[in-house]
Amino acid sequence: MKKIFILLGLIGLLTTSCDEFLTIYPETSLSVPTFYKTEADFTQAINGAYAPLRLLNNHEGGGMWVLTEMHSDNTIFQRLAQFGARERWHDVAQHAVPTADGVTANLYVKHAYVDLFQIIARSNQVLYTIDEADFDANAKDNIKGQAHFLRAFSYFQLVRLFGKAPLHLVPVTNRQEAALELSDAAALYTQIELDAKEAIQLLPVKSAQEAGRATSGAARMLLADAYMTQQKWSDAETQLMAIVNSDEYVLMPSYAEAFSESSANKNNMESLFEIQYKEGSEGLHGSWFYAMIPRPITAEEVGSITGTSNPLNITNEANNIPTPDIIAAYEEGDLRKDASIAYITLSNVLWKDGTYPYIKKYAKTHALHGNHGMSWPVYRYSEVLLALAEVLDEQGKPGAMDYLMQVRERAGLMNEPAGDLSDAIFKERRVELAFENKRWFDLVRTGRAVDVITAYGQRVKTNPGEYYFPEGEDPYPHGFQEIRLTYGLPASEADLSPNF
Amino acid sequence: MKVKRMKRKDNLKFCIVMVLLFCSIITFAQQNAISGKVTDSSGEPLPGVTVVLRGTTQGTITDFDGAFNLTNVKAEDVLVFSFVGMIKQEVEVGDQRNFKVTMLADAIGIEEVVAVGYGTQVKREVSGSVQTVDAETLKDLPVSQVTQKIQGQMAGVQIKQTTGKPGEGMNVRIRGQFSIAAGSEPLYVVDGFPITGGINKINPDEIEDITVLKDAASTSLYGSRAANGVILITTKKGKPGQTNVSLNVSYGIQEVPERGRIDMMDAVEFAQFKKEFYEDAGKDVPEMFQNPSIYEGKNNDWYDALLQTAPVQSYNLTVTSNTDKLRTAAVAGFYKQDGVVINSDYERYSLRLNMDYDVSDKVTIGFNLAPSYIKDDTPRTDGGRNEGILFNALHTWPMMPIYDDNGELTLYNKLPADVGNIFSYPNWVRSAQELVNETKDLDLLSTGYLEYKPIAGLTLKSSINAQITNSKFKFFNPSTATYRINQGIPTTSRSTRDEFTNFSWLNENTATYTKSVGDHNFSLLGGATIQKFRQDRFQLNMDNFSDDRLPFVQTATNINRTGTQDIVNEWSLVSFLSRLTYNYKGKYLLTAAIRSDGSSRFGSENAWGTFPSVSVGWIASDESFMADAEAVSMLKLRASYGVTGNNNIGNYTQYALINNTTSAAFNDNFAAGSAVSSMANSNLGWETTKQFDIGFDLSLYNNRVSVVYDYYKKKTTNLLYNVQVPWESGFSNFSDNIGEIAFWGHELGIKSINTTGKLKWTTSANISFNRNEVKSLAEGIDRVYGDFHITKVGEPFGQFYGFKSDGLYMNQADLDNSPVVPGRSTVGSIKLVDVNNDGVITKGGDNDDRTIIGNPFPDFEYGMTNTLNYGNWDFSVLMTGSQGAEVMVRHLVTTANLDGVFNLVDDVKYRWRSEENPGKGFYGTTVGGGRVTGVERDWNNDREIADASYLNIRNITLGYTYNSKSKIFKSARFYASIQNVYIFTDYWGGPNPEISVGRSGSNDGGNLSQGVDWSGYPVPRIYNFGVNVNF
Repeated sequence: MKKIFILLGLIGLLTTSCDEFLTIYPETSLSVPTFYKTEADFTQAINGAYAPLRLLNNHEGGGMWVLTEMHSDNTIFQRLAQFGARERWHDVAQHAVPTADGVTANLYVKHAYVDLFQIIARSNQVLYTIDEADFDANAKDNIKGQAHFLRAFSYFQLVRLFGKAPLHLVPVTNRQEAALELSDAAALYTQIELDAKEAIQLLPVKSAQEAGRATSGAARMLLADAYMTQQKWSDAETQLMAIVNSDEYVLMPSYAEAFSESSANKNNMESLFEIQYKEGSEGLHGSWFYAMIPRPITAEEVGSITGTSNPLNITNEANNIPTPDIIAAYEEGDLRKDASIAYITLSNVLWKDGTYPYIKKYAKTHALHGNHGMSWPVYRYSEVLLALAEVLDEQGKPGAMDYLMQVRERAGLMNEPAGDLSDAIFKERRVELAFENKRWFDLVRTGRAVDVITAYGQRVKTNPGEYYFPEGEDPYPHGFQEIRLTYGLPASEADLSPNF
Repeated sequence: MKVKRMKRKDNLKFCIVMVLLFCSIITFAQQNAISGKVTDSSGEPLPGVTVVLRGTTQGTITDFDGAFNLTNVKAEDVLVFSFVGMIKQEVEVGDQRNFKVTMLADAIGIEEVVAVGYGTQVKREVSGSVQTVDAETLKDLPVSQVTQKIQGQMAGVQIKQTTGKPGEGMNVRIRGQFSIAAGSEPLYVVDGFPITGGINKINPDEIEDITVLKDAASTSLYGSRAANGVILITTKKGKPGQTNVSLNVSYGIQEVPERGRIDMMDAVEFAQFKKEFYEDAGKDVPEMFQNPSIYEGKNNDWYDALLQTAPVQSYNLTVTSNTDKLRTAAVAGFYKQDGVVINSDYERYSLRLNMDYDVSDKVTIGFNLAPSYIKDDTPRTDGGRNEGILFNALHTWPMMPIYDDNGELTLYNKLPADVGNIFSYPNWVRSAQELVNETKDLDLLSTGYLEYKPIAGLTLKSSINAQITNSKFKFFNPSTATYRINQGIPTTSRSTRDEFTNFSWLNENTATYTKSVGDHNFSLLGGATIQKFRQDRFQLNMDNFSDDRLPFVQTATNINRTGTQDIVNEWSLVSFLSRLTYNYKGKYLLTAAIRSDGSSRFGSENAWGTFPSVSVGWIASDESFMADAEAVSMLKLRASYGVTGNNNIGNYTQYALINNTTSAAFNDNFAAGSAVSSMANSNLGWETTKQFDIGFDLSLYNNRVSVVYDYYKKKTTNLLYNVQVPWESGFSNFSDNIGEIAFWGHELGIKSINTTGKLKWTTSANISFNRNEVKSLAEGIDRVYGDFHITKVGEPFGQFYGFKSDGLYMNQADLDNSPVVPGRSTVGSIKLVDVNNDGVITKGGDNDDRTIIGNPFPDFEYGMTNTLNYGNWDFSVLMTGSQGAEVMVRHLVTTANLDGVFNLVDDVKYRWRSEENPGKGFYGTTVGGGRVTGVERDWNNDREIADASYLNIRNITLGYTYNSKSKIFKSARFYASIQNVYIFTDYWGGPNPEISVGRSGSNDGGNLSQGVDWSGYPVPRIYNFGVNVNF
């Protein structure tokens, strides 16, 4: 019997230690219950919320710029007959995105949706857990402000891309909570405004903030942008005036200097907010510029643009090639033209003489092929000035021309534009903000999209050779027929959500 | 029986039950004792003979002098003497106390005892579905992996060789079992130790026999790891009898057979194609194609340039000895296979030492020690355009020179873009020679045990097992070579390293008690085991080396953050197990088994799983009413039911993890970032498979013919799956247990001794039919997609998915009257089928015309071995086959790309060129560019589905045995064999109808994406010569 007791005891011991033996947490990563406690944790968490911004413009072969700039009359793809399976770009550029029952399978639509909701989920995680944590109130406000800014920023992109979206404000922790009903534009704008206002309250001004993070100035511009899209001109004016009066921003001396180099001139005094990349091996670099280089291009020719030590040749089609329309939009003497667009003559000639334009303002030299650190501009002070000109003009208030001229004068255009002021402002926005993903949303919010794009489509179809189509290659016959103002929601998402 | 999910608090109750079970083992009174001696026909003592009381599991084995002792024997008992290769004898005990038995050699050599989980069992009394193959039948196959040797040899064990890479590519499935996301490989148990990883590193010469446990009753003792079936490997032990030294040497020559090679255009043909390409498009023909005949005699066969005839050699020295108390077996092996692709080299050095020592007649201790070292240096051969050099060589333009005018290998080839050469082609011969792609594995399997028999019938055993694996992988891409197309040379030099150490230990404690009461015979097993695994892994990714000759960390200018990481993987498993084996009069059989597993992988709300099973058997031929059926030597009917699990669900899947690498940059400064990367699931558990099996074993005409048949029906539920959730949640999926798949099938095995006498001819054949159907997936999800596959409720798993095609639009009227792809279909382009009859061909969305277009799984698989013996000569032929499986010939995306960018399969000559010259109606017009040709190429369709049925004459061996009268040198056998003699098949996509190579080249595409041909390493034919000398 004694032996049995010992055996019983041993097995009892084994059982109680079983729990311990059978509980193994991952050693190389943390898990939710142990994280989100300290200031350092939340700093990491908010940094993590910025991370998807990089992807937004930097997916393989494209990003938001496909859905905005290449959806407008500013840029187009570079057709090459040898390559098939290019629909994801061609469809968007030619306004023929297959859309049925309000959904589309276009890859870049999905990418944008996924990236933006990832920012939202990470911002929600911060906002949901940060009040429980105990650390410095200023630091906490700053982090919360950034989370509100990022959430407002993301919903603002979503509402303009899709017109509606599910409105998630707390983190999702299981399968059942994953899908929400769609909220309409009004509900989304209400939340965008709430978040932006909250961010303005909580965030420091630019000079008091770590460079590159969201600031109260950036939040004001975001709010003004949202107001302008809703034509709330006087609300927008208040925010824009506050930015001007903050004395935090000035225009850079020249237009070319407004844009960052691969590792210098970032977050300069003109910059309100930009998507930050970092050249190098940390995995924070961009490679988006490479999708915009005309081809097939030899290694030497790539090197002449990028200045890298190890250039490689590139084939397949390029995208975001400036159209003849945008090239023609620059006035005589506009210094921005040469700062924005350059030309390369390819030795592999597949179209005309092989001379293509490309976006020069992003072509900054860097060390290694496919690895650059240029920022993607989101809000610059020149946009504040142009927005101010617009809201004043829209309200019939004086002063619009002064703000417009500040921008023009830097571009070497000393004359006040003739004709309708609101058209002049609109035209100025096009060239000042060219290739910064503004054009399509501007066309939509000002009600010009259908007319402008239809006419543009006509030009492309009539003269495909001018729009980089090689002989024998034609634009879609069915392109530019139905100009939709929003994209269908991602088809993959529709398969999973019962709500759309 | 339903699987019971136990929480931790229930565990204590279970433990108490287990203890009580142990305590039921109590002492008992001794009965009559007997003794005896067994000799062979020449009077030599015969050690190792199994002596059991008929109808019981009580018994013993004769010692070195052929002597045995048994206690607790009654007068009415019958002693059964059995020994491999000897005729079984039965002797009634009566009042005799001392027995002299002479065993006679048996021509058939039926094995009597088989390995089962946690022990052995007399084969006759096994009521589950168990199959064994011994090393003898496998010995002549000159291949490196055990799984290659057993391919086609056992019913219900499906083995595919998906690539010919040395040491790789064996896909093993038992009874068609697979899962969506969890592993599907069977559990391998080597001498009782469930190992981690496969068995391809084990030297096949170390193996005595291989037993496959198929039904749930046989496997349920392995609980949460048993659902994919269990393969028990028994290594060589010191055999009774004299010390034996055996040297086995073989040498073979491997070559790639001509049959099945993809027929590509030569330079003249390709130039002709290009000429026609421009003519048909109404464009000027570039100068280099204007006169194709200038390439006469200037063809460059890039694929052939990568192949070679290569040797394979194998050396094994085996020593077995059995002295008074010590039994040892030692096997030292060296295997070297130079691959048929240049610069591939596979070497294995191995040693095994098995030792058992009887400390006393009650205590035995034993040790197994098996170190091995494998060096594998094979070029990156398999996969799509960005991965595999074999595939890239296929479509390289045949006018591109391999050697320059000085006879040096060219660096790379690129023609002007206006001749349609978009991609530059590096020299693939250089790629094979210069890229380093090397794995070095050091493995150590070791076991120590103590066995104690305190009283008759009771055996207590405790073992400690350890497996240590150290693996170092090194890839180096110098600036002068690359494995992918369109990489300029010089390229960025790159290197990746992947090094890990695995340590797995297991402690098992079992007690077995065997007892007979009257005609009731019991054996009871109880046990507790504890196992832990840990992997420490380091991966390093770097580039831009200062000098190609120095591919080391210190010369890399850049270490990449992505791909450079530490990884730790751990799991633990605590288990309790028990089995009752009972029979009445040796003819009514019952086995019941249960195992309870607690695993670190299971969610906290679901930590313990219990896996019960029961099987029954009836030896009908022992009944009196069968006594007159003289033809029937033995008939056993079997049935079983049980529950098993699959715990390959990942180590930390249950946790909500933080990804600490979601970092940001602010003003060009690095800022560490974190984000929640997965959602927690505290209910996460194993996959559950419930299996019913019914079958029979039948022997006829004095065992001349024996038949084994089984029908099984399985239901797998709670499949691990990353259920997709809407991205709006910030996550892409949620790991959950979902769905149900039903499996069923038939297996038939036949052995027949066709002739006896001077010419002995035996045939053994098997066939298996496996079917499955997806019954449900997750709520709201009725399909899951693979690469080109769909897994859909109501259909079999992993079916090919795409468009049906109906030839080409032969003329304008055909185009006008048929559904088209708007804006893309033209006369001469592919005509897809409008499955939903809406008038247009649509890809994606609600009006998708894609449907199921093929099945990668066979209708049935079979194998047959014929062996002939005449005097000292022996001859055998092994054939294996598979019927009804299909393969998607996906390399056509490139090798039949109609835009003239790549070299093409020869058949593209017969494409549609005009209404008057429509060709064979298979390949369409080249006119119109990607807008037109892209439909045929990128909208994958049923033209790429090829019948992959085959019959492979896998091995023919002729041997001659020379018996010596010398005292030292006993015998020698000389043999010659051919491996992969010939494949009869209609498969047209390449040489290997078993192929399944993913685009990434690194695996076979996974369960959801089986049977895709991206072209891969060819499986060689081997001409082999060997000699086996016994001393």
